Amino acid sequence: MPFINDILRYDSLSIVGLEKNTGKTECLKYVLERLPVQTKRIAVTSIGIDGETVDQVTRTQKPEIHLREGMYFGTSEAHYRQRRLVSELIDVSDESTSLGRVVTAKALTGGKILLSGPSSASSLRRWMNEMKQRFGIDLVIIDGALSRMSSASPAVSQSMILATGAAYSASMSTLVSKTAHVVDLVNLDLTNERNLQRLMPLDKGLWFIDKDGELHSLDTMTSLSKDIHFQGMDGCETLYVAGALVDGFLEKVRKNKSLKQVELVVRDFTKIFVTPQQFRLFIKKGGRIRVLQKSKLIAVTVNPTSPSGYVLDSDTLCAKLSEAIGLPVYDLIKNKQ
Amino acid sequence: MKLRNVIESPCGIRYMLDQLELQSGFARRWLLDSSMMTDVDDIKASYGVLQRFADFVKRVEPLFINTLNHKLCDLKDIRTTIKNLHNGAVLDDIELFEVKHLAILASDVAKLLAQHGMVDVVEIPDLGEVISILDPDGMKIATFYIYDSYCAQLKDLRAYMRQHPEQQDDLLLQASVLEDGVRKDLSRQLHPFATAIEQAQEALAQIDVNLAKAIQMKQMGLTFPVLSQDGTTAYKAMFHPQVKEALATRGREFQPVDIAFGGHPTLITGANMGGKTVVLKTLTLCQLLFQFGFGIPAASAQIAVKDEIHFCIGDEQSVEKGLSSFAAEMKNIDAVIKASRENKKLLALIDEPARTTNPTEGAALVTALLQVLAGRDMNLVMTTHYDIEPGDARCLRVKGFENGTMDYQLVEVQDGEVPHEALNIAQSLGIDNEWITTARTLLEDSLCKRAS
Repeated sequence: MPFINDILRYDSLSIVGLEKNTGKTECLKYVLERLPVQTKRIAVTSIGIDGETVDQVTRTQKPEIHLREGMYFGTSEAHYRQRRLVSELIDVSDESTSLGRVVTAKALTGGKILLSGPSSASSLRRWMNEMKQRFGIDLVIIDGALSRMSSASPAVSQSMILATGAAYSASMSTLVSKTAHVVDLVNLDLTNERNLQRLMPLDKGLWFIDKDGELHSLDTMTSLSKDIHFQGMDGCETLYVAGALVDGFLEKVRKNKSLKQVELVVRDFTKIFVTPQQFRLFIKKGGRIRVLQKSKLIAVTVNPTSPSGYVLDSDTLCAKLSEAIGLPVYDLIKNKQ
Repeated sequence: MKLRNVIESPCGIRYMLDQLELQSGFARRWLLDSSMMTDVDDIKASYGVLQRFADFVKRVEPLFINTLNHKLCDLKDIRTTIKNLHNGAVLDDIELFEVKHLAILASDVAKLLAQHGMVDVVEIPDLGEVISILDPDGMKIATFYIYDSYCAQLKDLRAYMRQHPEQQDDLLLQASVLEDGVRKDLSRQLHPFATAIEQAQEALAQIDVNLAKAIQMKQMGLTFPVLSQDGTTAYKAMFHPQVKEALATRGREFQPVDIAFGGHPTLITGANMGGKTVVLKTLTLCQLLFQFGFGIPAASAQIAVKDEIHFCIGDEQSVEKGLSSFAAEMKNIDAVIKASRENKKLLALIDEPARTTNPTEGAALVTALLQVLAGRDMNLVMTTHYDIEPGDARCLRVKGFENGTMDYQLVEVQDGEVPHEALNIAQSLGIDNEWITTARTLLEDSLCKRAS
């Protein structure tokens, strides 16, 4: 069975689709069907755009997920009332989403449930901690929201599965390169131990470490700013962007001669908002980007069928993508048949 | 008046609430919704409970307090559910869970408190019967579902469902009819306990609040007040916790102040920067803390109960109402005068009235205010910079600037003559010399003219 054992090495997994209909739900179902519920305590929840009932983009109803007996789950009050299984309530949170409070329960029979959950990354993190500490949960699985990477942030979950497919792009080469870009970002290496210790507590601003190892703050607060001057940074070793990293900034760093040797550090891949072109150009010119936190990319899954009916050849897609990213790629729908 | 209504008072009572280590959001709401006590017996009873908690905090292990606090964290606001129960509605699973959760929590907290002889302090209704209704298998854990043991038919149906998952949707529908029957039955059984459940929830909030107040007393060095018999209020070594904390972060110390006031109006004069406003702020804070049952920031305190507390601080402009600072101030003081006619026990603390107008009219307004309020049944403490005729007011004066440092103590003086230290103080602040010297010359000229 592909990648199930890999998942069990981590205490949290988020499943993220790069686009609607890329087979995220299929992937979640695949994982839930195969996890060893007898030996592991497993909890499932979702992060929604403030608890969406229907997908915000396509307006289609969110699919129900089949849970197995013994699994724990977090969902909203409204969805709990619509459950199609017997379950035991173990907690009702104080935090409220647009669908009511988040309810935590344990499935006493198998059956279907609509998943919604904590509405922000920070409340999701609180929920996950609670699950671990109070209920001894071994693994939390998060159904990530469409085009919201925050749930896949290493600050939230240790590992992730990426679902991509024809819905993301109907051209195979575009699909492969766009997906490979995301994979490149997820797989960025961690910076060195010294940087980790010094930069981790800094959650905003721009910072650099000079050649003598001194930490300085840049006057400009964000990389979005138009007038950034890299004064007094000759020979500087590390440049840290605590917030978002954007194209313009990356370009300025690349073109600045005094920053040839610099290692650019960001908090994690979810903070990088640069185009594949700028990113490749930066790397090609010898630039280095490192992260403070990293989550393990366990697998990439594909759905070769787009909602408009266009179908890519599954084997070719898997092979090409696998070659581009250096990781196994699975078509779970095809493999099931 | 509720605590919620005075929380933004410029006296700084919000700081005390922010520093209160409450465990549950419900306790915070409960406290904010509590009314200011104006009855002597209520205040006595309230401090009686707090005294027991203060002793408790002193004598038990911090670890035990942590355990208790950890429990109180679990207190949830289930007033909507309780209301539904009162109204005879059928509760759903989430509501039944909430009731069970609260009942078990109440019983756990009662047991913890009983371990240290705190049985009779805050009465927690016994919800044993509620627990047994919602815990048919005697598991004693705060989880809930419609248990198999409620209904033999349901049990069989579920067993059959586990063996035939392909029929699950149909079987769940059948089961839901049975479950609804159980919920109806449970809600009927629980209905008589609605009041007790509500009382338990409030009792837990009261425990949370008292424990937090007791811990705050210990942390900030607060004292229990004595109720004044003769209408006078007196503090020894009174301090303002927020100002004290702000000074401490700058490496400076707060100088506590002794003050007493009663029947006659009290007039405080003193140099600029002499802490007059802080005295009024602290007096207001102490009075509010007293009537909401908190520890008092002083070495000792004897306080008279009031019906209304008025704190008029001059420099608030009421921009929304379109009033200038003078107009806003006049309106505030006007409210004091009106209230004083209504035969209420008042405490009015007025900071430099009429400061923003010309000194001739200003002094007349202040003198007149003193005369108007002198005869009323109220405590008035007022600060001023104007030279006025004190009448029968007691005059206190900030000791003031001595050997380069400010002495914030208050001393009793015979007349209301104001100190003339403004120029010296300005000079010590390093203000432009030309300005100060010119002012000094003008002042001397005018004194000479008056003398001749």
